[in-house]
Amino acid sequence: MPDSAPLVLVVDDDPAMRDSIAFLVTSVGYDCRSFTSAEEFLRNWQDDRPACLLVDIRMSGMSGLDLQNRLAEAKSSLGVVFVTGHGDVPMAVRAMRGGAIDFLQKPFNDQLLLDRIREAIDVSIATRKVAAERSSIEARLARLTGREREVLDLVVAGKANKQIAAELDISIKTVEVHRHNVMEKMEAASVAELARLI
Amino acid sequence: MARPMFPLLLVLAAMLLLAVAPAGAFASEDIRVGVLAYRGAERVGDSWTSSFEHLNKTLAPLHFQMVPGDLSFLDEEVAAGRLDFIITNPGHYIELETRFGASRIATVETIGGPPPAAAMGATLFVRAERSDIRDIKNLRGKTLAAASQDSFSFRQAWREMAELGIDPFSAPTHLSFLGFPADTVVEAVRKGEADAGVVRGCLIEAMAAEGNVQAGEFRVLGAQTLPSPGCQISTRLYPDWPFAKLTHTPEALAKRVAQALLSMSAGADGQSWTVPVDYQSVHDLYRVLKLGPYQSLGHHSLWTLFWEYRHWLTALGLAFLWWVLHVLRVQVLVRRRTEELRAANEAARLHREELEHAGRLSLVGEMASGLAHEINQPLAAIANYATGCLHRLEAQGEADQIAHGLRQIAAQAQRGGDIVRRMRDFVRKRPAALRPVQMEQIIEDSLVLFAPIARRKQVTLRLVPYPPLPLVQADPVQLEEVLLNLLQNAVDAVEGQPRREVALSASLGPDSVTLSVSDSGPGLDADSIQRLFEPFFTTKVEGLGLGLSLCHSIVETHGGRLWAENAPNGGAAFHVLLPIA
Repeated sequence: MPDSAPLVLVVDDDPAMRDSIAFLVTSVGYDCRSFTSAEEFLRNWQDDRPACLLVDIRMSGMSGLDLQNRLAEAKSSLGVVFVTGHGDVPMAVRAMRGGAIDFLQKPFNDQLLLDRIREAIDVSIATRKVAAERSSIEARLARLTGREREVLDLVVAGKANKQIAAELDISIKTVEVHRHNVMEKMEAASVAELARLI
Repeated sequence: MARPMFPLLLVLAAMLLLAVAPAGAFASEDIRVGVLAYRGAERVGDSWTSSFEHLNKTLAPLHFQMVPGDLSFLDEEVAAGRLDFIITNPGHYIELETRFGASRIATVETIGGPPPAAAMGATLFVRAERSDIRDIKNLRGKTLAAASQDSFSFRQAWREMAELGIDPFSAPTHLSFLGFPADTVVEAVRKGEADAGVVRGCLIEAMAAEGNVQAGEFRVLGAQTLPSPGCQISTRLYPDWPFAKLTHTPEALAKRVAQALLSMSAGADGQSWTVPVDYQSVHDLYRVLKLGPYQSLGHHSLWTLFWEYRHWLTALGLAFLWWVLHVLRVQVLVRRRTEELRAANEAARLHREELEHAGRLSLVGEMASGLAHEINQPLAAIANYATGCLHRLEAQGEADQIAHGLRQIAAQAQRGGDIVRRMRDFVRKRPAALRPVQMEQIIEDSLVLFAPIARRKQVTLRLVPYPPLPLVQADPVQLEEVLLNLLQNAVDAVEGQPRREVALSASLGPDSVTLSVSDSGPGLDADSIQRLFEPFFTTKVEGLGLGLSLCHSIVETHGGRLWAENAPNGGAAFHVLLPIA
């Protein structure tokens, strides 16, 4: 994680909302960046750090829900919190099913908002961590040769070396060498750990 | 057979005789001659004795019978046709002449007396000691006694008074009619019951000769002496009495009587007869006094005119009354109807205001959720700023940051207040108050009010840049209402359309400003364009259909025009034209 301060991204077409939310979140030590529309946000956001996305569900142009769909397609790690001035129950349901952290109605309890931001950021961090781990594992897997991959699968299946040798029609010694390489490349200390990685 | 016939023949003969009787039937009959008895019936015989004797002698076997009486008696007899001849005073004669067709055959002539054409007059007299009454004109305001209103002597006196401008019949002059004989008049004056009296000329002299009047007891007014017999007369002179026949009197008889009279030699009293004189002067008297034949010219004649035409006049009067009542009723009705009309107009105006108010309220209802959202924004912002300030205070943050937050709180609170105020102004009932307004302000206010609705319906609201607009004479609230209505309709029109866009623009004319709201909807069909501004016409399922008709009447009140058309590139466009202030 390169940046230290948690980041809140605000997308709202009302300038007072943007400014007041920025004022609020910076007062508790967050960073804040605001955008006037979903389109502007998409143009300018690289998705390179964990952040909470605070977005109004109703905007002219692309709506909050549309943005959520676009982000999901792009496998964004942002934690999304929806805000709205209207009582939109059907929208709320769709938002939650789409993976939003929460759906808050204005005027909201600021403490609740900050809690949800915190939660979103945590989720974002967690998501990114998982993703990072995921890619690390994938990178490690990429290092394996074809044969090593085969051995890995059989080891994780719990087969003894003698069985693996028999199945792959190679010598036990070869199996032992492959096994050692796999462990090293996969950076796993034990078979159990290896199994967890897959 | 012959015997029953005889009486029959006798009767027939008698009847024949009677039938031819008129020719000479007076053979043994009385000729009735009416004589005016002005001094009582008993005394009249003396005056005419010689004449009657002469006639009876000359025209025997005809017997001339004197029938004395006063004026009304004689009138009755003449009217009944019971008199053949009449001797009366000149005044009465011309009345008989007019009414019954009497005609004179001789006039009295007193031998050695005045000429028959100017032989008599009336005498106005007072007690000699009345030095206050010297002339006829002094009779004004006095009491005058006479025998009768109809007596010739009174009329003669009345004429003289009338020609002096005195009306004896009206106050202060007083009249006292004592009836015949005329002697009573003399008595009344003597006793002082009347200031003056009027009698026939020469009566007083006659009474003096009889010893009933003392010499010098009375004084005659305006005296002129009648040459022989030397009576004192107060009036002008008139012809003497006539001997007249009546209409039914046969001419042959009249001729014989006239011959007899004219050939009569004067008796002891000098009385004889001459050819009938001209009675024009008597006619003149009657004309002046508007009596008898001249009555229709009289001062009482207005009443007789009324009386004569009373039926027509009554009918006319009633017709006039009806007309007056009719006019009054029409007046009342007109006033009442005008009042009703005014009240109805007033009621209609109030109704329209209510309707407008209702229209505004329904629009507000639609905007209510938008309103809630609108107010939420500043409230949420205020909450954020407040919490932010608290955190910064706890963390001993920078003062200018805190100040920024607080300033924003104030601004947002005002923004909320603006929205509430704008909404309240919109809802409040007000009649149109036209004043010069900035169009830009109205456009901006309308957009601010409407933006949340557009956002909710996910319609793009576009304001096309416009040139600077002059002031327009308008009621800002009502104009906003029109604009909001049009915007709402436009947003409804684009619902479900692929492209949801509503544009608001303004353009300048030579003396007007035109606001236009156009949408990217399906446009208007021919039927709608016709009926768009009718009340209760709507294409919306839940619509009341009041909006556009209210807008139309508002724009009209402003002296402008509201119309709709299909835009060239699809969709509908509504235009509001307003005259420049």
